[in-house]
Amino acid sequence: MSVPAIEVRELTRRFGRQTAVDRVSFRLDYGEIFGFLGPNGAGKSTTIRMLCGILAPSSGSATVAGHDVGKDPERIKLSIGYVSQKFSLYSDLTVQENLEFYGSVYLLEGERLRGRIEQVYALTGLGEYRTRLAGVLSGGWKQRLALANAILHEPRVLFLDEPTAGVDPLSRRALWELFYKLSASGVALLVTTHYMEEAERCNQLAFISGGRILRMGSPQELKSRLAGRLLEVECRPLLKASAAFERMVGLTGLTAYGTTLHLNVQDEREARTRIAEIARSEGIELTGVRTIEPSLEDVFAVIENEEEARGPHAAD
Amino acid sequence: MPRIKAIARKEMIHLLRDRRTLVLIALMPFMQLITYGYAINTDVKHLPTAVYDQDRTSMSRRLTEAFEQSAYFDITDRPASFEAVRQAIDRGKVKAGLIIPPGFMRDLLAGRQAELQLIIDGTDSNPANTAMNTSQAIVTQYMLRQGLLRTDGEPPVVFKPRLWYNPDLKSPFFMVPGLVGLLLQLLIPMITATAIVREKERGNIEQLLVTPVKPWEIILGKLIPYVGVGLLIALTIIASANLLFAVPIRGNPLTLFVLTMLFLTVCLGFGLYASTVAENQQQASQIIMFFAAPSILLSGFIFPRESMPWPIYGIGYFIPLTYYLKIVRGIILKGLGYDDLWGEILPLVAICALVLGLSIKRFHKRLE
Ligand SMILES: Nc1ncnc2c1ncn2[C@@H]1O[C@H](COP(=O)(O)OP(=O)(O)O)[C@@H](O)[C@H]1O
Ligand SMILES: [Mg+2]
Repeated sequence: MSVPAIEVRELTRRFGRQTAVDRVSFRLDYGEIFGFLGPNGAGKSTTIRMLCGILAPSSGSATVAGHDVGKDPERIKLSIGYVSQKFSLYSDLTVQENLEFYGSVYLLEGERLRGRIEQVYALTGLGEYRTRLAGVLSGGWKQRLALANAILHEPRVLFLDEPTAGVDPLSRRALWELFYKLSASGVALLVTTHYMEEAERCNQLAFISGGRILRMGSPQELKSRLAGRLLEVECRPLLKASAAFERMVGLTGLTAYGTTLHLNVQDEREARTRIAEIARSEGIELTGVRTIEPSLEDVFAVIENEEEARGPHAAD
Repeated sequence: MPRIKAIARKEMIHLLRDRRTLVLIALMPFMQLITYGYAINTDVKHLPTAVYDQDRTSMSRRLTEAFEQSAYFDITDRPASFEAVRQAIDRGKVKAGLIIPPGFMRDLLAGRQAELQLIIDGTDSNPANTAMNTSQAIVTQYMLRQGLLRTDGEPPVVFKPRLWYNPDLKSPFFMVPGLVGLLLQLLIPMITATAIVREKERGNIEQLLVTPVKPWEIILGKLIPYVGVGLLIALTIIASANLLFAVPIRGNPLTLFVLTMLFLTVCLGFGLYASTVAENQQQASQIIMFFAAPSILLSGFIFPRESMPWPIYGIGYFIPLTYYLKIVRGIILKGLGYDDLWGEILPLVAICALVLGLSIKRFHKRLE
């Protein structure tokens, strides 16, 4: 087995009484993209900040690029790039000045610095904005600048905290193209996101909520767990139907998709019979019931449902 | 080193693009100079004066006339006793009292020395200063006109002008060097603190922390441009005091530079400290104003400390500006050097070490 880019064991961070990150463990290899998904306050940013060496863990351990987070945070800083959740470059400096500044902080100088800046310009297309103040760039270009800035010193591990939040769809696609290029060149990327179509593009996904990783695996693996157990139900009226099916025996998840409902069930054949029965007794007009391939959205709807059923984590 | 340079350069760009701060830095010294410099150039004439003429001879009358004709003194009162002169000055009825002794003419004609007294109310330093100088000239000219010459070269009239209430004659000359201290104290902590807090407020610090830059490199790099600003302010004031208002610089400029750097460091350290306590720019400026106001009032910049009640006088010992005022006035006005100023330098060094130590410690903590 190769040396992992990131290896996290039981990493925990408490703020006072609150446990923001709770025994998180995972592993990420070079050349892979690892996606962090989860609601706000799940502990994604806190995990990343610990891995960047700017927040000390309460317990547990992690190595990033071969260096221990607790013992050697300074060494880590040389091997990582970080795009924080909030735009944190200097708005009153131009694109070029920002890059020059951060380059110098990593001790890039003279020809080498200029060369690297031209390279990231070529990669991101930022070149034409070089004399523009960072503060007046659009959301998409700001994020490209933040990324350009994070890769200037050629780090082998990249942390991207919601790099596409507030970015238009076109720029989002462009940014993901960049992520792919970077991962193809051997960089390990840890990305948090809210967008399912972005999650779909990761090699590994972790769904995190309340500080804990609830599910982890490749998008394919996560979806296969639901295979053959997802029914698309076309019916009317939708609201009444959703209320009626919610109490169905053997249901593990229900989500509304436009004019259809997605029902995740324990046993497909049993469920089809029950659906028909309920529709008849409740006066719901049923126009179609199909078995479908689950999307990631379905997967997370199920995970969330199961978590709700299990009750708050504070209990354990 | 390259990191510090990069941070200093970036900070310089921030400063040059921040119109509000620039205007403040440029205007404050000039506004203060105009305020205090104006007082310097006001020629004070027609000082209300009491004459207590105990001689009542033609010579004593001619002396009184000489004072009056100079246009600097208006004889407005002729009290009948020394006590009455004192009262007139106390009540502010007159600003000066001329006391001619009995036997003034007789003594002079007999070739003996006669003593002449002039009491000047020194509270208002400017007219008092003028009165001091012109009265001397008036008496000298009077003696020449009267043909009073002595063979032994001693002056026939022993003239003793005396200042009451402000024997050091704190003049506007006195105020202008103090402006260096005042402005450094007012401006430097403020711009330093806001520069650092702004970085925190806007989340820039998060990005800086994941880089290999060390906290002390951040501090040093950020402070360097403000050292420059501070020196520029000091230079502006001292140069304009000297060139525009003819305030003489009697001491060694290098000594002045070194000790100004010391005080500047205290101001920077103070700004740094405020930045570690404050969450946002507004809080930072509140903290700084909270300390600036007593500094200005209690350091002796406006009111002489000697006239303060002792507890308040005591507070002055904890204010760095107190020491720097003595230093800057001492060097510029009296030509003092290190040897005369240890009493001020040592406390200032102690305060400097304390403020810097505390704020660097807190700054480290804040980053965690
Ligand atoms: N510095 C901090 N002090 C106290 N609580 C914090 C701090 N940072 C994060 N938290 C808390 O930890 C939890 C996780 O936050 P965060 O990691 O930012 O979540 P996410 O990035 O997944 O939205 C939240 O409840 C948040 O309020
Ligand atoms: Mg977050």
